[in-house]
Amino acid sequence: MLTCIKGGRVIDPANGRDAVGDVWMRDGRIVGAPPGDTRADEIHDATGKIVMAGAIDIHSHIASDNVNRARLLLPELHRASAPNPAAAPLSNAPSSTFETGCLYASMGFTTVVEPAVAPDAALHAHLELADVPIIDKAILAVLGNDDFLLEALRREETPSLIGDYVAWTLEASRALGIKVINAGGAAAFKANVREFSLDDVVPFYGVSSRQIVKALQRAVDGLGVPHPLHVHCNNLGLPGNSETALATIAAAEGLPLHLAHLQFYGYGNEGPRGFSSAAARIAEAVNAADGLTIDVGQVMFGQTVTISSDVLRQFNARTGASPRKWTIFEAEGNGGGIVPYNYRPGNFHNAVQWAVGLELFLLITDPARVFFTTDHPNGAPFTTYPEIFALLMNRDLRAEWMAKLLPEALTVTNLRSIEREYSLAEIATMTRGAPAKLLGLADRGHLGPGAVADVAVYPQASDRAKMFRAAALVFKDGELVVRDGRVTRYRWGRALYVRPDHDAGIDRRMRDHYGDRYGLPPDFMKVPDGAIQRPDPFELVPCHG
Amino acid sequence: MADAWIDGRPVALRAAATEAAKLLKASRLPLVAGLGTDANGARAAIGLAAQLGGVIDHMHSGALLRDLDVAREAGMMVITPNEAALRADTLLMVGPGLKTAWPDLDARLIERPPAPETADPFRRRVFWLCPETKTRSRHQQEAAIGHTPKDLPAVLAALRASLAGRPRRKLRDARAIDRLAAELRTARFGVALWSAAALDVLTIEMLCGLVNDLNGTTRFSGLPLTPGDHAAGVLEVCGWMTGFPMRTGFARGFPEHDPWRFEASRLIASGETDCALWISAYRAAAPDWDGNLPTIALTGADAKFRCRPPRVHIAVGRPGLDHDAVERFVPTATLAWTSAKHKSEAISVAQAIGQIALALASDRALPC
Repeated sequence: MLTCIKGGRVIDPANGRDAVGDVWMRDGRIVGAPPGDTRADEIHDATGKIVMAGAIDIHSHIASDNVNRARLLLPELHRASAPNPAAAPLSNAPSSTFETGCLYASMGFTTVVEPAVAPDAALHAHLELADVPIIDKAILAVLGNDDFLLEALRREETPSLIGDYVAWTLEASRALGIKVINAGGAAAFKANVREFSLDDVVPFYGVSSRQIVKALQRAVDGLGVPHPLHVHCNNLGLPGNSETALATIAAAEGLPLHLAHLQFYGYGNEGPRGFSSAAARIAEAVNAADGLTIDVGQVMFGQTVTISSDVLRQFNARTGASPRKWTIFEAEGNGGGIVPYNYRPGNFHNAVQWAVGLELFLLITDPARVFFTTDHPNGAPFTTYPEIFALLMNRDLRAEWMAKLLPEALTVTNLRSIEREYSLAEIATMTRGAPAKLLGLADRGHLGPGAVADVAVYPQASDRAKMFRAAALVFKDGELVVRDGRVTRYRWGRALYVRPDHDAGIDRRMRDHYGDRYGLPPDFMKVPDGAIQRPDPFELVPCHG
Repeated sequence: MADAWIDGRPVALRAAATEAAKLLKASRLPLVAGLGTDANGARAAIGLAAQLGGVIDHMHSGALLRDLDVAREAGMMVITPNEAALRADTLLMVGPGLKTAWPDLDARLIERPPAPETADPFRRRVFWLCPETKTRSRHQQEAAIGHTPKDLPAVLAALRASLAGRPRRKLRDARAIDRLAAELRTARFGVALWSAAALDVLTIEMLCGLVNDLNGTTRFSGLPLTPGDHAAGVLEVCGWMTGFPMRTGFARGFPEHDPWRFEASRLIASGETDCALWISAYRAAAPDWDGNLPTIALTGADAKFRCRPPRVHIAVGRPGLDHDAVERFVPTATLAWTSAKHKSEAISVAQAIGQIALALASDRALPC
């Protein structure tokens, strides 16, 4: 079937396009404009509307055993009341996987990455993702506190072995990339260590956080995995931790590296409260570091919950839980914790955090290297994305928000002096073209012929939050799934993963390791095709040659 | 070739599914209970209940919700069995029912060698509070404090007070408790185990508070032993599909969680529910309620029913035995794929519910 989205303003910076025109789709792909006399089977009038590729979220905690702990911990935060839509059953169950997919799709998002999955919990994550409607998805597998890696580093095993191990993990987990979260910190916490920085050393293993990060960075790069090592640095949330961010940026040493939710590391310790924004210094360092990418992790005010596999951080943060309850869990490798939190505009620290995130967006100059996230739900739920787009695009709106905050909070940031406003093209780059490239998805994030026909059509509105909140039309693989902000039917996306080449000898090595350590074979970690009850549940993404 | 019966007469699967659909369609408030099934069976059951506007309850919800209530009212630190076996130099075994809940407790925890990265030298100490007398661990002689489970709340409170240096009233085991407190303080990594099936919610909360207190100076965590019939696995599925645990109703078109309102035996006793779908794939168990309501049973062929036999009975296989399954893997506390040990023709719960859903031919879609 040939479909035409007619007469919208097509914003596709990846292909140098920003003009009124048509987008043609056939068999789930974008196709070039056909010969003049060809009739479309279906025409959608996009006159006066904005047409972009479907958006891609590279870091959002939407589906995992840890996410599920958060659901069960806080039933009072997601009481249901809306009736069950016939076309989208259980999408009216707040915090359910069904709601997640529908909310994302209604905002024009078509691919979302769950960034923190322990390899032995990969099947759980894929099962949850299989019940997230509409969108394509992926997971990042967490390494960096696991015994095998730390022991391999202790014994100074070859980079080749570490590469094989990383490849084995990616394949077993069906992951798109590797995440490291406070490298060594969780292992150290088991030995009663309560703080852990980049050059601190894990007891017994004698390896530093830096060594772990570097080893993983080299392994990921050496395997040709498109997505760089995705790093959650040490010392999240602590005053003065911008030093950690700067040290980690420097540790990239020219190889690709991605730093997650950098807002949470944007803090100096100046001013009367010993807490200030260091966003300007961080942004300068990011701007200067080619090959480095970051996502912001914007804070927005309101009740949320922090879901993290940084068990040391969550353990320390549990005393600030609001409401006063939490779950901390430990396992092989990272473990994690759930700590509810309420960001208040009247709170000095929270106001600074909100400003730091915006400063990072506005001071980092290349929209292809700064990625749009709230570290959902840790900074804010992803449903705040429309408001954040509006803030980035309108300095008067920022001024309105700032007028309601503690002036003393704003004096320790530079936000008031920043005039930059994002254009629609920059938003498109930041949320479409750049994430597709960062994840190695050559056929997404743009509207050139051959691309997957994931298309979002937005109503034109000067209120950008209104515009981005409810897409007029969303197509997934060329099929209409959203009309006027409402999902019209369920369909099921694919989990994207990589499978880099590696030496088969690692299988034997892992069986021996699991046998020695656990008395079990690693079979329990498998994610077989048959376990996921959807048609075509997986899609392989090529590695670099 | 599935085994199926209507009113005790053998019938084809399709006929049984059609009759089941008829009963469910006619019901004002169908109850999906038992829920002893694998992950995909749970998905099917919960999806069906949502479609029908019914209620879901697991046969062991009571025990499961005790642990969940402590977490969601106060907070909890937990660890996996594998990790406890690797790290714990101090085990605090609290209350009865541990070996019943985890038959492999001795071999897979107490007797496991520690991980190389633990402190050297390593000596594992095991302390028992108000332990089981019937199903005993090989190691149970060591340092038992407390005689019956009724002693537990006072023993735990006294232990917590002793650790914190707070005053407490006279107690029979006072000196033993002080000695235990001193031992726990010197733990390098301690793990407290309990079975919610055997304890009440306040006792569990006191224990979790004790674990939290101990983390002020050393490392300690908790290992709740979950009830059987895949309760913890079904809890995961229920959480991601609905946002809530079991004891959730869909009658108003949206999920509502209410542990009192949506408890199976209460709904039956009050007459609020008028039809039940009973699921027990791990054991050929029958429900223990007394009600006269029409029941559809998805359970083993040899299940014995009280009072009235089910109107419809479809025999289902055992997950992981008769058919491949996704189930909670106890050592890592994660969901894992299990290949069928003796693959058979027996159908799964998911397949049986699939047949019922087909027969329902609802114009309302199933979520899965």
